[in-house]
Amino acid sequence: MQAKAAVNQKPGNTLNNAFASHFAKSMFLSVTALAILSFIGTRMFTHVDLNLYGYMVGTIVFIGGFFYRFIAWGERPPTKLILKKGLKLLFRKSTPKTSVEHLATYNFIWNRGIYRWTQHVLIGWGCILSCFVTFPLVFGWMYFTMDDNGHYNIIAMGMKVMTVPADGIIANLSYNALNITAVMVIAGVCMALYRRLKNMQARAEQKFLYDFLPLYMLLLVSITGLALTFMNIFLHGAGQPAMSLIHQWSVIITLIYLPFGKLAHIPFRPMSVLARNYREHYAEQGMKECKVCGDQFVSVEQSKDVVDVLGVNAIEFKAKEGHHLAEMCLPCRRKYRIAQFSGFPTHEVKVKEANQNAKG
Amino acid sequence: MKKRLYLELENCIGCRSCLAACTQCGGHEERNRNYVYDVNPLVNRQTMPLMCLHCENPACARSCPAQAIQIHETGAVLSALVEKCIGCQNCTIACPYGIPKFDHEQNLMYKCDLCIDRTKDGIPPMCASVCPSNTLQWLTDEEIENKKKQFNLDNGKWVTSMPYLEGETNVKVNLPGILQGITKLF
Repeated sequence: MQAKAAVNQKPGNTLNNAFASHFAKSMFLSVTALAILSFIGTRMFTHVDLNLYGYMVGTIVFIGGFFYRFIAWGERPPTKLILKKGLKLLFRKSTPKTSVEHLATYNFIWNRGIYRWTQHVLIGWGCILSCFVTFPLVFGWMYFTMDDNGHYNIIAMGMKVMTVPADGIIANLSYNALNITAVMVIAGVCMALYRRLKNMQARAEQKFLYDFLPLYMLLLVSITGLALTFMNIFLHGAGQPAMSLIHQWSVIITLIYLPFGKLAHIPFRPMSVLARNYREHYAEQGMKECKVCGDQFVSVEQSKDVVDVLGVNAIEFKAKEGHHLAEMCLPCRRKYRIAQFSGFPTHEVKVKEANQNAKG
Repeated sequence: MKKRLYLELENCIGCRSCLAACTQCGGHEERNRNYVYDVNPLVNRQTMPLMCLHCENPACARSCPAQAIQIHETGAVLSALVEKCIGCQNCTIACPYGIPKFDHEQNLMYKCDLCIDRTKDGIPPMCASVCPSNTLQWLTDEEIENKKKQFNLDNGKWVTSMPYLEGETNVKVNLPGILQGITKLF
């Protein structure tokens, strides 16, 4: 595949020609970006916390897995299409609102149930906040110094942001940020595990590797993290070195697993904003009319795109009347099928479909 | 023993038990995912059910940018994975039979999953378990072969695939003998 891509490349694009593959290019650029940011953040590598170097290596391995998984995924025809068109429409007026609803407040999960929403907010925001604390510390984008006894300077990207008293609220929140998020994640994971034990549909479909492993990994990360705090406070640091290695191991395994399991939906989910923009934008451009009843049911663009994508997959749904099946609205397409079975043109009878929603 | 859903369309009496049963399947959240249509609503009472036929090469899954539609090892084309579905509705446009439903509130597509919690253990799906007229049956390939022997054959009109369907499907559909003037032997 990569060899073929190289043949297809236009001459003159020197940056792309410098790399053997998309993967190599993405890896090189992100590792370089990380190195430059660290160089700035740590004031020319003078404030690297080498205690955390294991996380640094783990993150780079994670980035490798991430690009491997997502470049392959982005090559799928429908994915490529939505990514390409969606990114062009990124600066729509509705983007901030859609992004907040999809990625921060999870309104659509609220509509799926309050229990699931609570569980998702606890796990989701627990993980996001933990990342905001962990990665800046690992790469030295944020660190603490002390000029006067009893006052910490918070240094972000090499600049002193503020000086806080060591026993003040902000300082205490900083010390305990990961403890708070650990409690959030543990609560959320317990809710998720309880649902997976009780809900019959979940019980039918869940798999250990896909559904349980990420929950157990998050649980392990949070519990070993809290254990570190426990050992510091109550055991005067006894067992801390061993536990910190176990904690590091669990975080690195979770990071490496992330692109390949259920947690892959975290980096992947912003696509839903692109998809929403894509639908809204092209719906304004023009709607497709059903070939049978004339109802507007989808944007012209999306209809065309889906037909193209199916074509790439060597799927051609040509109706006898000459149009593509995707050019009929859903009720007409269903009636059209009934017509193929019975020989009577059900879809041409101008009667609204009978109620199809049984009330359970 | 692998069993599959088998439809004898002309048996349908339009009771909509399959719709009601569908709502009761675990995880369907009291919403049905199948359809029952009047064939010629202004003239007679003939009805036919329409459900996901679980294509061997499903257009919905092929058009999904998120790989949210998974194919189970039994051949069932599953409903969208809730964490992956991004709500683009490509699947509803792609499906040649117009089966997938979309919930705008939940930003989620849902479709027949052949009651995978039941069928993976060989238990018939809800619709087939309740159908009072044997329109929807849960049969082994051997039993379907035996059915074939009961009909007037050699006219190519026994079981639908091409040209009545768009491709090979895991659900087998029997063409409506009554409407086509073919007599059943039982």
